[in-house]
Formats: sequence, C-alpha cells, structure tokens
Amino acid sequence: MRYLLPFLLGLALLTLWEIWVGLAGVPVFVLPAPSLILAALVDNFTALMAALWVTVKVTLLAFVWAVATAVSLAIVFTRARLIEMALYPYVITLQVTPVVAIAPLILIWVGFDNLSRALVIIAWIVAFFPMLTNTVQGLRSVDPQLHDLMTLSGASWWQRLIYLELPAALPAMLTGAKISGGLALIGAVVAEFVAGSGTSTGLAWRIIETGNRLEIATMFASLALLSALGIFLFYLLSFCEWLLLHRWHESFRR
Amino acid sequence: MSALALNAASLRYDNGFTALKNVTAQFISGSFTALVGPSGCGKSSLLRLLAGLEQPFIGSVTGLAQSQIGFVFQEPTLLAWRSVADNITLPLQIEGHSPNEIAARLDEALALVGLTDFADALPRQLSGGMKMRVSLARALAKRPPVLLMDEPFAALDELTRFRLDDDLRAIWQQQKCTIIFVTHSVTEAAYLAERALVMQGGEIQKEIAINQTGRDSGFRSAPAFTAACSALSMALGHGTSPGGGA
Repeated sequence: MRYLLPFLLGLALLTLWEIWVGLAGVPVFVLPAPSLILAALVDNFTALMAALWVTVKVTLLAFVWAVATAVSLAIVFTRARLIEMALYPYVITLQVTPVVAIAPLILIWVGFDNLSRALVIIAWIVAFFPMLTNTVQGLRSVDPQLHDLMTLSGASWWQRLIYLELPAALPAMLTGAKISGGLALIGAVVAEFVAGSGTSTGLAWRIIETGNRLEIATMFASLALLSALGIFLFYLLSFCEWLLLHRWHESFRR
Repeated sequence: MSALALNAASLRYDNGFTALKNVTAQFISGSFTALVGPSGCGKSSLLRLLAGLEQPFIGSVTGLAQSQIGFVFQEPTLLAWRSVADNITLPLQIEGHSPNEIAARLDEALALVGLTDFADALPRQLSGGMKMRVSLARALAKRPPVLLMDEPFAALDELTRFRLDDDLRAIWQQQKCTIIFVTHSVTEAAYLAERALVMQGGEIQKEIAINQTGRDSGFRSAPAFTAACSALSMALGHGTSPGGGA
C-alpha cells in the first residue's frame, strides 16, 4: 500500500493531464502532454543521459566534499573552542549570502580554466552548512558520563573520536547528509544556471536551452530527470541511514 | 594498608560551588565502604575525586592510576551501537590488551554477573537490571583493585536491587577488591557495607561501623542490620526507623 497508493495517484494525475491537454487544446509550447514528454525523452535519450551524468558528477562531488570538509571542521570545532569562535562568523556569512550572488564571482575566479570545478565549488557552498551544524550538534551531544568512561579507560583523543564521538554523532550526521544531498543537487542546478552557455552541459543547462528554443517537451523531460535524481539521492541516503542505524538506534524501534 | 585516601581535600567546581569541604578519609584495601547522604551532599563528588575525574582545590588525594579503578555510574552508560561483549571489552581494547587476554577477561566478567548467554545482545534488548549488570561487568573486566560505584542500582525496582546487592556482595568476597559505594538508601548501605560514611553539606559527618554478625544467612532480618539502619537514620537525622532511603 505504501508504494501502490502514490503510484496510482501519479498515474491518475498523468492520465487526467493527458486528457485535459487534448480536450482543451493547450498549445504544445505551453504544456505538452505526458506522452509527448515521454517521446521527447526517448528521442533525446543519449543527449539527456549525457547531461544527467554531468549533473550527477557535480552533485556527488559537491556532496562528498561537503561531507568530508564539514565533518573535519566539526571535529576541529569541538576540539578547539578558539578556532570555532574565530571561524564561525565567517561560516555563517558564507551560508547566509545567497549563492546566486556569489556564483558569478566564483565563475570568474575559477571557471575560466576549469568550469566543472567552479560548479562543484558553488554546489559545495550550498551543501556544506547543514552537514557542519548537524555534525557539531551530534559531537557535542555525547553523554558526559560516556566521556568520563573514556577518560577512566585512558583513551587518547583519537580513540575517543573513533570509539565514542563519531558513532554517537552518526544519527545527527546522517540527518545532515540527507539535507546536504538534496542541497548539493540544488547547488549544482543553480551553478549550471549561472554558468549559462558554453562548456556547461548539465540538465539545468538543457532546461534553459530547450526553454529558449521552445522545445517544452524536452524541457519537461529534463525536469523529470532532475526530480528523479533528487528522489534517488534521498532514498539512497535513507537506505544508508537504515543500514547504519537500524540495529541499535531508537529511531528505528518499532 | 589503605588503597585510597583523601587528605583534607576540598573540591570546588568552575561555577564556584564548593562540593567538598576539608574531607579526610581512608579506605583500607579490600574494605567495603558505603557513602550515605541526601542528594547534593557531595557523595558523587567524593567518588569523582577518588577516580581522578576531578582535582582537589585544596588538599590531596592518595589514589591509584585510573587504569586500576573500576567505575560504575548511576546510569548503565553503555554504547548503544556495541553489543554486550563489545561494551564490556571497550576499556580493555583501549588499554591495548591482547585479543586472548580480552576474551578471557570477557568470559570471566560475563560469568561474574550472570550474562554469559547475552554476550551478543545489544543494550536496547536488555532490561534495566541487565544493563546495570553489563556496566558492572565492564568495570570488573579491568580486574580493578578498587571499584567505585555511584548509586548504581538507584533507578531499579526493589526486587532487582536486592538481587544485585546480593550479587555484588558475592563478587566482593570473591574478588577481594576495595569497594566504595555511594547510595542515598540507608538500608542498602547497611546491607552491603562494613562501614558507612555519613555525608552532609560536603563534609563527612560520621563514620559508622556495621556489625557483621548474622551475615551467614538472612542478614536483612538480623539484629545487626536493624541496628545499623537505626544508627544511619539517626546520623542522617531521620529518627530511628529502618525504612529510610526512598
């Protein structure tokens, strides 16, 4: 039922859409019928898959970098209060400044030699912050008595991190990762929009390009692929969460 | 020979609160001492001082290395993602013992607390009493000469607590370690210990030796037990009822 119900609803909506577009005579350049979108997907399959692959690469690279840098910085923050005090305002500045506003600068600085690196940096900026705050929160929430236990066992800071802090922070980190995964995709799309024409050939660029040419069915096909990518990322990360937590964490207790 | 001692030690926390004032006490090797007193009297602080988890503001602590100390917290304090066996062996793993040594000590500790069949269980599959046993086994696996226990059974129901009290007495007699046991229960102190230190306002108010006559069977109905309860209640200012200790 959990899977069947949304599937049936989707099917019904698509059918209604197909019928309504036909009956009302909506022009194809305003809203193409689902069958036309599917046809556009099939016709442009190779080009769209290539575009999808470009966007996937940018998204995944940005996500992996966001996780690696955020976790590292979170560990530094929880170990050295002074560094946190010094850096935190700048981290917040980076977070609150709209990425669309910074993106042109990054494209100028980095994008001339290496556009895909600029795209990854832009997407990384968007994905970084939730991962950082969730990890810091998780590392800080470790039961003080468990810290006492590590002290009494003579644990080094490295053992404390591996045996206690990282596993204890894992649930919070995975929550952060789910948010960051979605944001990395948004960041990748924004980056491609801002980068505009030229060597950028991701799905977002396809959307702009097909929009300009009024190939609205292909535009919808690109959009559908972007959504599918977002959904895939979310479920992939949810699966990782289940894999790592279901044995012991309260959130998976039935 | 005294295993641990406090020499005119005071403890002040960072927020300015003085938890212990000029406390002097000695704990003889192999003895069982109960620290009794109302909440906030400094019992737990005294234990943390002995464990080296806090440093005295004035005075000194004659203690042991932390590797020589087994500490049992008020909560089971288990790592939820590690099995019973992995929780028990964590301190040994950190101290860098050999796998054979760790396995031997694990079997020994599991047998001592009666959890041999639950080695692979996760903490969330256990009852409150069993979790406390795991916590005790983790402390015992270090084979510590000194066992410090901070109200370990306070959160358990009375029947479970009685059973664990009995088990702890048996373990103490078998292992011949020094035990310092914090409790707010007069009856538990009288039942477990040979000596009770009554604390109030960060000071040791009174030292009461508990007559061990009648230990061989049913100590809870022995006159020595009733007398110890009365003496402890009097010292805490509760009159003579042996029912003290919520």
